[in-house]
Amino acid sequence: MQSHPTHSEEGGPVGPPPGATPDGRRGLSRRNLLATLGVTAAGGALALVSFQDDAQAAAMAPMAAKIKASAHAWCMVIDLRTCDGCKGCTMACQQRHGLREEQTWINVYDMKDADGGKFSMPRPCMMCEDAPCMYICPVGANIRTDDGLVLVDTEACIGSRACMAACPYEARYFNWTDPLPPKRLPMPSTPQMPVPEKGVVGKCVFCADRLPQGELPACVSGCPMGVLYIGDLVTDIAVNGLGKNVVLSEFLRANDAVRFKEELGTNPRVYYILGHGQSLGGGE
Amino acid sequence: MTTEAITTKAKNTEAKTTNAMTTDARAASLRPFGKPSRLWWLTVLALSLVVLTGIAAWVVQLQGGMGVAGYSDQAFWAIYIADVVTFIGVSYGGAVVSAILRLTGATWRAPLTRLAEGTAVVTVLIGAALIIPHLANPIRLWELVTRPNLSAPVFWDFVAVMTYIFGSIVFFALPLVPDMAVLGQEHGEQLGRRRATLYARVSRGWVGAPRQRRVLAGALGLVSIMIIPLAVSVHSVLAWAFASTSRPWWHESIWAPQFVIAALYSGVALVILVVAGFRSGYHLQGLITPRHFVRLGFILATLSATYIYLTFADLLPGAYVGDRGTAAVFTELLVGRLAIWFWLFAIVGGLLPLLLVALPWTRNVTGMVIAAILVVPMMWLKRILMVVGPATYDTMTGAFGRYHFTWVPVAITLAATAAIPLLLMLLFRVVPLLSIDEIEEMQELSDLEKNATPRPHTAPSEPAAHDDRLVGATSTAHRVAGATGVLLLVALLGMFGVGSADPAQAATPQTATLQTGTQSAPAVKLSGIEAGGMVQLTATLTSPHGQPLPKAKVAFLLSTTEFGSPARLIALGSATTDKTGVATLKYQPKVTGKQGFVATYAAGAKPVTASTNVAVTVARSPYHPAPAKPLASVGNVLVLALFAIVAAIWLTLIAQIWRVRRVCRGVQQTATSSA
Repeated sequence: MQSHPTHSEEGGPVGPPPGATPDGRRGLSRRNLLATLGVTAAGGALALVSFQDDAQAAAMAPMAAKIKASAHAWCMVIDLRTCDGCKGCTMACQQRHGLREEQTWINVYDMKDADGGKFSMPRPCMMCEDAPCMYICPVGANIRTDDGLVLVDTEACIGSRACMAACPYEARYFNWTDPLPPKRLPMPSTPQMPVPEKGVVGKCVFCADRLPQGELPACVSGCPMGVLYIGDLVTDIAVNGLGKNVVLSEFLRANDAVRFKEELGTNPRVYYILGHGQSLGGGE
Repeated sequence: MTTEAITTKAKNTEAKTTNAMTTDARAASLRPFGKPSRLWWLTVLALSLVVLTGIAAWVVQLQGGMGVAGYSDQAFWAIYIADVVTFIGVSYGGAVVSAILRLTGATWRAPLTRLAEGTAVVTVLIGAALIIPHLANPIRLWELVTRPNLSAPVFWDFVAVMTYIFGSIVFFALPLVPDMAVLGQEHGEQLGRRRATLYARVSRGWVGAPRQRRVLAGALGLVSIMIIPLAVSVHSVLAWAFASTSRPWWHESIWAPQFVIAALYSGVALVILVVAGFRSGYHLQGLITPRHFVRLGFILATLSATYIYLTFADLLPGAYVGDRGTAAVFTELLVGRLAIWFWLFAIVGGLLPLLLVALPWTRNVTGMVIAAILVVPMMWLKRILMVVGPATYDTMTGAFGRYHFTWVPVAITLAATAAIPLLLMLLFRVVPLLSIDEIEEMQELSDLEKNATPRPHTAPSEPAAHDDRLVGATSTAHRVAGATGVLLLVALLGMFGVGSADPAQAATPQTATLQTGTQSAPAVKLSGIEAGGMVQLTATLTSPHGQPLPKAKVAFLLSTTEFGSPARLIALGSATTDKTGVATLKYQPKVTGKQGFVATYAAGAKPVTASTNVAVTVARSPYHPAPAKPLASVGNVLVLALFAIVAAIWLTLIAQIWRVRRVCRGVQQTATSSA
């Protein structure tokens, strides 16, 4: 409001140096300079916009748009009616991925129901369609495949553990120290088949390297009770390690399958058929 | 206005030492530049050793992994993130003591501002550096620039901290110009060669002309205005980095304001400690009086009361409602394993400092220093509790994991603590300890108020000093607003270019092929055709004699190789044959392309089967991806707005430096040309 008096006053006491432009024009040139700065910054902002467009593909936007066109939508069904808590899935997984004992990518929790009855509950990565870990990673080291698998790019992971804080299913495990010595021939680490490495996070990958080959994940084939089903929401098929093949949607509907912590809105891709191992004759 | 004028002004000031500031600010500022005492060297040596131990501990952690720092999957965040919050938090002392007091026109701030601003710069740098041991892969820190995830709060944390660091440095550096000019021009022989060169370079062209003073005051006023929201933003985003996870307690909506108040609280306490330390170390008792400490103590008490209130407000609703996770964490905190530490904080870090300020007989320098000594470590303890409680809570089992401190994070934390006095001692070997110009100006102002006599040399401009400052700030603010507007406009226009096109899906029609099943005793034939989006499967059952077989149950299966070969068969349903031996089933295909179907009839022990392939052209999968979250699209707008704001802040800050440089240059040219 009082900018004009200031301008005239600014030049007032000192007076323009000889050869300098008159005061009014100096103000104008300052304005020009600010405008130039503004345009430069705007250019930068535009560059960021286009960059942000790329980043959005990785993380921000409705992920649903990406999922639509894919040929598969991998999911898992876990039939708690048949789980006896043997942890065969955990061991098969740890064996395959060279994990430490405490790194239970698929963890079998000993749960209690309201009546004090006990049941076992395997928990792999939920492969959420709205995965909190994807939003929160500061460098976008979580990637989502077209088939809907949430994987970790261990070459980008900065080890902030923000994803561990974000995951409502405690499905992430960090390599706090040097990993176990590899039992197999050294192989390159990929998001689909990560090789443990100090300082990066790891988690269940649904054995993403096996699925395209039509092979079952280690836990599914390692489950002696046929608790775990690997499925495809698009083709509407689910199979377990004992050769049971089902029409996924009908199987889920007929058995009142639920998703864990549905209320969080993460849209997990793991379905549970509730139970307490009753089909084994135990626990009832 | 020439250097002569300044000399006269200084002499004038010296003559008028009527108020509490009996010691000359210049002499006090020059004191650290003399030959350091043995105590100084010993202190620097001891602090350096602590810092070096911390760096060694970090190297050990790099080699052994985060596990050597006590971290585990049960405690994925712990001491380092609490350190980051604490150290960035204490840097707020500079913002509150300097910026808020400057804006509110509290003249008593003058001898404290430089120390407070220096503390702010040093602690925010240490706090930002503490993110390095927090990261398991610090070598990849640059990825925050090269491949940031714009939806991640930690990325915005990084942006906010960087902006705040830049703002703090500008806020610290701008008032150095007149001080360095005064010392360089009048006390050059006491500075030593290197300092003299530095001072001459920084203050080149500054002669203290009214126009220069006005521009500097305008720039400082604007930066003061900016530094407060910047400080608020840093701790808010830090709090949101916690709140945007899935942990109980971290979600509380009060966390951001609580973080800000916590930061101010601990920041003022640290300023008291730093001021007390330098006051006794460099004998500044004449300039910094007990009244300064009491006034800082009042600020401390206000913040203490506010923080106690916010802590209560933080805990009450969660404890009342008693969600499973929140209830577990609060139980652990208030009556459980962490309770002793929480109540220690509440009493020693909250109530005691309040009492020390409230009671008249402890309201003195010693009392305030004790209060500050209590507050700083207790606020660190509070942060540890806020981090470790929810981080060790297992949201699956409801059990708590453990975090055990090892020597590594303790050494690193101690190193960061030791780095504060060390860096400050080194910093004030280089730059003046006190804001000389400001002190002299305040002195003149208070003299002016007392005597109501205008000073002889700067009479025409001086009475309007305050108004000018405001005017300068306002006009700059107008220009900044204009530039921001342009930025936002361009950025918004650019958004129209951000669109996505749906990929068109080509459907290739195919005709159905038909195969007959192999024949055995009873025979089954299967055919499938696609009609109306459905696959109609028709199985014809004949007895070994060639007669149609009625009332027989035929099962239909889908054959898939998706999960490997041999093909897996998935039961689709069954149907009973009619009089003509025909059973039909309609199947809704889920995917397009060639699909195999099988029909089986269990004829006694040996089932008979037939298979066929159908080329499906129209399919409908029952799967629908989850719809986007309601506010998902808002994120893009938010990101653009944030980038525009950040750009505007950086540009404005740079413009302030440029402004001051320019006015120095301009006046210098005038001075030389007129001479």
